[in-house]
Amino acid sequence: MSGQLIINGIVNASLIAPPAIAFSLLFGILRFPNFAIGAYVTVGAFIAYALNVGAGMPLWVAGLGAMAGTAVVVWLSDVLVFKPMRGHTPVTLLVVSIALALIIEHVIRLFYGADVRGFDLPLERPIKFAGMRITGEQIDIIIMTIVIGIAIHLLLQYTRIGKAMRATADNEVLAEVRGINTSYVIAFTWLVCGALFGLTGVFAGLDLVIEPLVGWYLTIPIFAAAILGGIGSPYGAMLGSLLVGLAEELTVLVLPSSYKIGVGFVIIAVLLLIRPHGLLGQPEIKK
Amino acid sequence: MSAYLISMATFVGFFMILALALNLQWGMTGMVNFGIAGFYALGAYTSGLLSVKLGWPVGITIAMSCVTGLIAGGLVALLSMRLREDYLAIVTLGFGEIVRLIALNEDQITEGPRGLKIDARPFADMFDRETYPLVYLGLVALAVAVVFVIVECIRRSPMGRTLRAIREDDVVAEVLGKNVLRHRIQVFALGGAFMGLAGALYAHYVQNISPEVFMPMVAIFIWMSVIVGGAGNNWGLLLGAGVVMTILEGSRFMGDFIDFLDAEQLSAIRIIVIGVLLIAILRVRPRGLIPEPKFSFAAASTDQERQPSIENAK
Amino acid sequence: MAEDLLQAENICVGYGRGDIVHGVDVSVSAGRIATIIGPNGAGKSTMIKAIAGVLMRREGSIRIDGQEIGGKPASEIARCGVAYVPQEANVFRQLTVTENLQMGSWIEPEEFDGRYEKVCALFPILKERGKVRAGNLSGGQRQMVAFGMALMVEPKVLLLDEPSAGLSPAMVEQMFDIIKQVNKTGIAVLMVEQNAMQALKISDHGYVMAAGQVAMSAPASELLDSSEVSELYLGTRQ
Ligand SMILES: Nc1ncnc2c1ncn2[C@@H]1O[C@H](COP(=O)(O)OP(=O)(O)OP(=O)(O)O)[C@@H](O)[C@H]1O
Ligand SMILES: [Mg+2]
Repeated sequence: MSGQLIINGIVNASLIAPPAIAFSLLFGILRFPNFAIGAYVTVGAFIAYALNVGAGMPLWVAGLGAMAGTAVVVWLSDVLVFKPMRGHTPVTLLVVSIALALIIEHVIRLFYGADVRGFDLPLERPIKFAGMRITGEQIDIIIMTIVIGIAIHLLLQYTRIGKAMRATADNEVLAEVRGINTSYVIAFTWLVCGALFGLTGVFAGLDLVIEPLVGWYLTIPIFAAAILGGIGSPYGAMLGSLLVGLAEELTVLVLPSSYKIGVGFVIIAVLLLIRPHGLLGQPEIKK
Repeated sequence: MSAYLISMATFVGFFMILALALNLQWGMTGMVNFGIAGFYALGAYTSGLLSVKLGWPVGITIAMSCVTGLIAGGLVALLSMRLREDYLAIVTLGFGEIVRLIALNEDQITEGPRGLKIDARPFADMFDRETYPLVYLGLVALAVAVVFVIVECIRRSPMGRTLRAIREDDVVAEVLGKNVLRHRIQVFALGGAFMGLAGALYAHYVQNISPEVFMPMVAIFIWMSVIVGGAGNNWGLLLGAGVVMTILEGSRFMGDFIDFLDAEQLSAIRIIVIGVLLIAILRVRPRGLIPEPKFSFAAASTDQERQPSIENAK
Repeated sequence: MAEDLLQAENICVGYGRGDIVHGVDVSVSAGRIATIIGPNGAGKSTMIKAIAGVLMRREGSIRIDGQEIGGKPASEIARCGVAYVPQEANVFRQLTVTENLQMGSWIEPEEFDGRYEKVCALFPILKERGKVRAGNLSGGQRQMVAFGMALMVEPKVLLLDEPSAGLSPAMVEQMFDIIKQVNKTGIAVLMVEQNAMQALKISDHGYVMAAGQVAMSAPASELLDSSEVSELYLGTRQ
C-alpha cells in the first residue's frame, strides 16, 4: 500500500521537477514568481496533443514539437509582456503574470473548449511487482526527468552559456560589464525554460489528462518545490520536487485525496514560517 | 431589463466592498492578497451555515461573517509577517484555495458542489417580491457607503500616512518609530472583515452558494478594479469596480451580434479581453487611471510630529 | 592637444528624472592614474557608471583611443578594453572565486590560464579560496575578488569605484601598491576614493567633484598641497 504511494510520489516528483527547475532559473532573471508557468505547461500539453492526435505524429515527435513550440511561446511572452515591463515592482509583474496565465488558458478554451483529452497511445498493461504497479509511461517520465536534471546540471556547471546564465541571474549588471551579452543570455534562458515547460506538458498529458487547467493544478506544487529548495537554486528545486511529490501522495494516508492540491500550500506556508529562504537557499542580501 | 440592471448594480456593490478592502490592504499598506475569494467564501459560508443550520437571525449571522473574516485576516497576517510580498501572494492564494477545498469536500456540512440553499433574507417579510431587489440594492449601497467612509477616514487619518509609510518602505517606517507589525495585522484583519461582509451579503442575495463561485479568478477581477481605479485611491476604485463589471457583463450582449461563437467561446473572449486590458493598463499607467497624489516620507514624519497620532490619543 | 586614452567630455547623466552629473570632463592617458574625490552623493559613482556604460549618458562624448563609446551597451564597452569595478555588488555571490575570475576573462577565455597565475601571484588568497562561493567571503576578500576579476580582463582602462572600501588599513596600503604596479604596465586607471590622501599620493591627477560638477581639477600633488582640499577632504589639520 505505502510502497505504491511512494512510487506514485516519485512519478509525481518527476512531473514537478523540470518545471520547478525552470521556474527557479527564471526567478533568477525576473525576481518575481511568474504565475504563468502553469499556463506554459498547458500550452505544451495542447501542442503535443495537436501534433499527436490532430496531425497523427508519433508521440516522441509531437513531444519534441511541443518543447520547441512552447519554448517559442514562452520566449514571446517575455518579448511582448515581461521585457517591456522590467523594472516595475514585483507585485505589478506578478499581477501581469496572472493576467497572462488567464489569457493563455482562455485562448486554449477558445479553440479546444473545456473537454478532457488524452494522447493517442496504444494501451499498455502496467508492470506489476510485489503488489505495486507502474506504467511504462511513468517509467519513461522518471528516466527522462533524471536525464533532464543531469543535463541541466552539466549545462549550468560546465558550458560557457550555462556559466553566463548563472552569472546573469546572480548579477545582471556585472555580467554585462564583463562583456556578456545579457539580453542574449536571458532570451536563451527563456527558451530553455520554455522547452522544460513544454516537456512537462507532455508528461502531464501522459500521466494526468489534457485540459485547459492542467497546468494551473501543477502551479502550486511547482512553487512549493522551488521555494522548498530555495528559490533560485535549480538543485534545490530537484530536492524540493521529491519532497513535495512524496508529501502530496502520502497525505492520502491521513486526508481524503481531494485535499491533495492543498498540500503544496501547507508546505509553503509552514516552510516559509520556519525557513524563509528555503532549504538550500541563501538569504538574499539587500543591495 | 431594469431587474437586470438592479441585479448588476448589486453585484457591482459586492465588487466595490471587496475592492475597498483590497485597497486598504494593498493600495494603502502594500500587503498583497490573492486570497480574496477565500475571505469572500468564508463570509458567505459563515452567514449561510449559521442561518441554515442553526437558524440564527440574519443580522447576527452577517455580523459573524465580519468576525470570521477579521479573525482569518489577522491570522493570515500574523503567520506571514516575515514574508516578502511575493511569498505573501502565494500564501494568501493558498488560503483561498484551502477555504474552497474545504467547502467542496466537507459536503455533509457545506453541501459541497450541490450548493447551500439559504432561505433567510434581511427584512424579507417587510417588502413584496417586486420591490425587494431594490431594497437589497439599497442595503448593499449602504454597506458600500459605510465601508467607504471607514476606509477613507483611515486614509486621511495620521494612521493612513503611517500605512503609506509602511507601504513605501517598512524598514524606514520602523525607523520612524511606527509599529509596522501591529499596523499590518490590524489592516489585514479589517480588510478580511469587509470581505467577509461582502460574502455574507452575496450569500443572502443569491440564496444558493457553491464552491465554484469562489475560484481565484475573483481575486483577479478585484485586483483589476483596484488597478484600473488607481491603487490607494478610494474614489477611483469605485469607478474601477464599475468598469470591470461592465466589461464582464456588457460583453454578454456581444453574443447577440456574434452568432458564430458559442457561449463558452464568448466567455473565454471576455476573460481574454479583461486580461489584455489589465496588462495594457499596468503597462501604460502603472499607478492606475486615477493615481493617488505622490507620497513622501517627509510628510509622514512631520505630520506625525505636528498632530497626535491615533495611537497616542488612545 | 593629443587625445588621452580615455577622454570624457561634458557628460550629463542621471537616473531617469533629471541629471545628477552636469557637464563633467575627465581624462586619463595610458600609464597614468586619475582620482576623483568628493563628498558623498556628489555624483562620483554616477560619472564612472556613465563611462562604463552601465548608465546611458544623456549628453557628452566618451572616447577610448579616439573611438566614441558613449551610447554603446556595457558589454561592448568592455570589449573595447574597459574594466569597471562597481562600488557595490561587484562580485558574483553565487559563483565560486575561481568562477568569478573566469568571468573576468569571459571575452578572451583562452587567456584564462596565464592571467589566472598572474592575478593569483598578486592575491594568493584567490587561489587558496578558489572553491568558496564569493558570497561567503569577508568584505575585504570580496573586494580582492572584484579587483582580481577586473585584472583578468587585462584592460586598457581600469575604472575603480572605491577599491579600498572595506579593507583593513594594512590591506589598503597593499591595494594601492598593486594598483600602482598594475598601472605601470601601461593601464590607464580612473578611480573614485574616500581614502583621498592615500589615493592622491599614487595618482598623477585629481578631480574634486561636488554637486555633480568638477569643482577642481589639478595635478594630484597640487591637490595634496592645497589647504582648501586638505581641510575639506583629506582630514588633515593645519
Ligand atoms: N540607482 C539610483 N537611482 C536614483 N538615484 C540614484 C541612484 N544611485 C544614486 N542616486 C543618486 O545620485 C546622487 C549621486 O550618487 P552617487 O552614487 O553618484 O554619489 P557618490 O558621489 O558616488 O557618493 P558616495 O561617496 O556615497 O559613493 C545621489 O543623490 C543619489 O541619491
Ligand atoms: Mg559612490
